[in-house]
Amino acid sequence: MTTAVQRLADTAAGKMADRIPVFCNLLDQGARELGLPLNEYYSRGEYVAEGQLRLQKKYGYDNVWCLFYVGKEAELFGCRKIIFAEDGPPNVGEMILETYDDVYRLQVPEDVTSHPAFEETRKCLDILKREVGGKRPICAYVTASMTLPAILMGMENWLALLLSGPLDVRDELLEKCSEFFRKQVAALRNAGADIILYSNPFGSVDFLPMRMFEMLSLPWMERDLKPVGADGVVYYCGGARLIPVIDRVIERTGIGAYYLSPLESVAAGKRAIEGRALCAGVINDIRMIDWSPQEVREEVKRILAEGMPGGRFMFGTVVMPWSIPDANIRAMLEAAFEFGRLQ
Amino acid sequence: MLDRVLNAYTEAIYDTDRDRAFQVVHDALAEGVSPEDIVFEIVSPSLEMMVKAISESDTANLAQHFLASQIGADITEEMMARFRQAPRMAGSVVIGTSQGDFHGLGKRIVAGCLKAAVIEVIDLGTNVPPERFVDEAVSRDAQVIAVSSMMVHTARSESGCLGVRRILRERRLEDRIKVVVGGAPYRFDPELYRIVQADAWAANGIAAGEIIARLIEEVQS
Repeated sequence: MTTAVQRLADTAAGKMADRIPVFCNLLDQGARELGLPLNEYYSRGEYVAEGQLRLQKKYGYDNVWCLFYVGKEAELFGCRKIIFAEDGPPNVGEMILETYDDVYRLQVPEDVTSHPAFEETRKCLDILKREVGGKRPICAYVTASMTLPAILMGMENWLALLLSGPLDVRDELLEKCSEFFRKQVAALRNAGADIILYSNPFGSVDFLPMRMFEMLSLPWMERDLKPVGADGVVYYCGGARLIPVIDRVIERTGIGAYYLSPLESVAAGKRAIEGRALCAGVINDIRMIDWSPQEVREEVKRILAEGMPGGRFMFGTVVMPWSIPDANIRAMLEAAFEFGRLQ
Repeated sequence: MLDRVLNAYTEAIYDTDRDRAFQVVHDALAEGVSPEDIVFEIVSPSLEMMVKAISESDTANLAQHFLASQIGADITEEMMARFRQAPRMAGSVVIGTSQGDFHGLGKRIVAGCLKAAVIEVIDLGTNVPPERFVDEAVSRDAQVIAVSSMMVHTARSESGCLGVRRILRERRLEDRIKVVVGGAPYRFDPELYRIVQADAWAANGIAAGEIIARLIEEVQS
C-alpha cells in the first residue's frame, strides 16, 4: 500500500500515484480532541503531537503538523506574552521590538535547539517521528525573513520601516531574521520535519508592489534558502496571492511546491508553474463554516477538475477555522479522496 | 496645473515613495496652490482614483494602501492647520478592532483615509468590547461604528459586530448609527458581513473610506 510520503514524493516528481496528496490543516482542533483549553493544549509538545495523530486518524488525510501557533517564533526571540482565545488562534501579546534601537539589541538564539521555547517543538517532533515518520509527511511552519518582523514589531511598524524607515535598521533586522530562519529550518529538519512551509505574505504582490518584490523579497528569499536548500520547501503567502511571482521564485530559489491562495484560479496557477513544480489547489476554508456538505463537495470537485490535468497537483486547506462543522470536514475529504483518485 | 500635481502625487503613492509625495505637495504650495485645493483637489481625488483602480484591476497592494492613507492623513492634517477657515468635519466614526483581535493595521489604513476625507476619527485601538464601541459612538455623536477583524473567530464572535448590533437594537439606535466591518475574513467570504449583521463591508482600507462616507451621508439625510 502506498504511504502518504510515497504518494507526495511520486506526485512531486510527476509520477503516477494512487491518488493526489490531500493535506488538511487542522491545528486548534487538536485541543478539542483532547478536551483541553487551547492554552493548556499548546503548553506541551506531547499534547500537540497527540492531537495531530488523533485528528489524522479520525479523518484519514495525508499530513501531520508540528505547529503550535505562529507566535512561537516570537517566543524564541524572547516574547513572553501570548494571548489565547477559546475558539481560535492566539495573538502575540507583546511586540519585542518597540524602537529601532531594539533591532540592534535583538539577539538571534545561538542554538535554537537548546532554547527552552524549542523544547516542546522538539518533543512534538520526536513523537510524530516515532509514530508516523517515513509514512506521513511531517510539516513544520517557518516564517520568511521578509515577514517575520511583522510578529516582532507589528505589521504597521514593519510596513512603515520597510517603506520609509532607515535602511540600515531594515537591513539589520532582515539579516537577523534570515539567520534565525536558517537556524530554525536546520533545527526542525534535524528533529524530523519533512516539509517546511515557507510562509511569506511579504513575498506576494498583494502586500508589496512588484518592484519591491524584485528588490527586496526575492534577494532575501535567496538569502534564506540558499544555505539550507529548497528540499521539501513549500512556498506559501499566508492566503495572499502568489501566481504573479511563481515564475521568478522558481527561477531564483528552485522551490518545488506552490501553495496557492484560495482566491486564485487553480488553472492559472498550473499554467504559471508550467509543470516545473508541484501545485496545491486550496479550498476557501472560511466559507466552509457556512457551506452545506453538498456545496463543499462541489467546490472540491471543481478545484480538482481544474488542477488534476497534467499531474503534479495536490489538494489542501489554509488553516481550518475552529467552527467548521465536522460534517463539512468529512465532506471535503471524502470528495478529495473520491475525485482525486488516479488509479 | 492641479491635474499635473494630482498625477505626480498619485504616481508617487503608487511607487510607495513617501518623500516624493510630500515633495510634490510642498512644491505645489510654493507654486501657489491653496491648502484647501491640496486636500480637496489632490489628496481626496487621488484616494478616489485608487479605489477606482482597485475595483477595476485589483492590482493595488497593501503597501500602497498603507502609504496612501498615512500620507493622505498627514498631509490633510498639515494643510488643515493652514486653511483660511476651520474646516467643517463631514461626520464622525468610531473605529477599533473586535474584542480578542490585536491586529491594528487595517484599522489604521481606514482611519488615515477617513482623516484625508475630513471625517473625524475616534480610534478606540485594538481588542474593543462591543459596549465600548456603542458608548463612545453615542457620547461622541458618531454616525458610524467601524469594526475591524483579522481573524475569523473574532469577526464572527458575539463580542464583535454581532454584539454591537445587539446593543444598538436594544437601545433603539439603529437609525442613528450604522455599522461597517472589514478585515481578512470578509475578503474570503463577501457574504460574512450579513451573517455578523453589519450594514456594509469594505474589501480594503481605501474602499472603506468611501463606504463610510456614504453611510455618514445616509444617517445625516
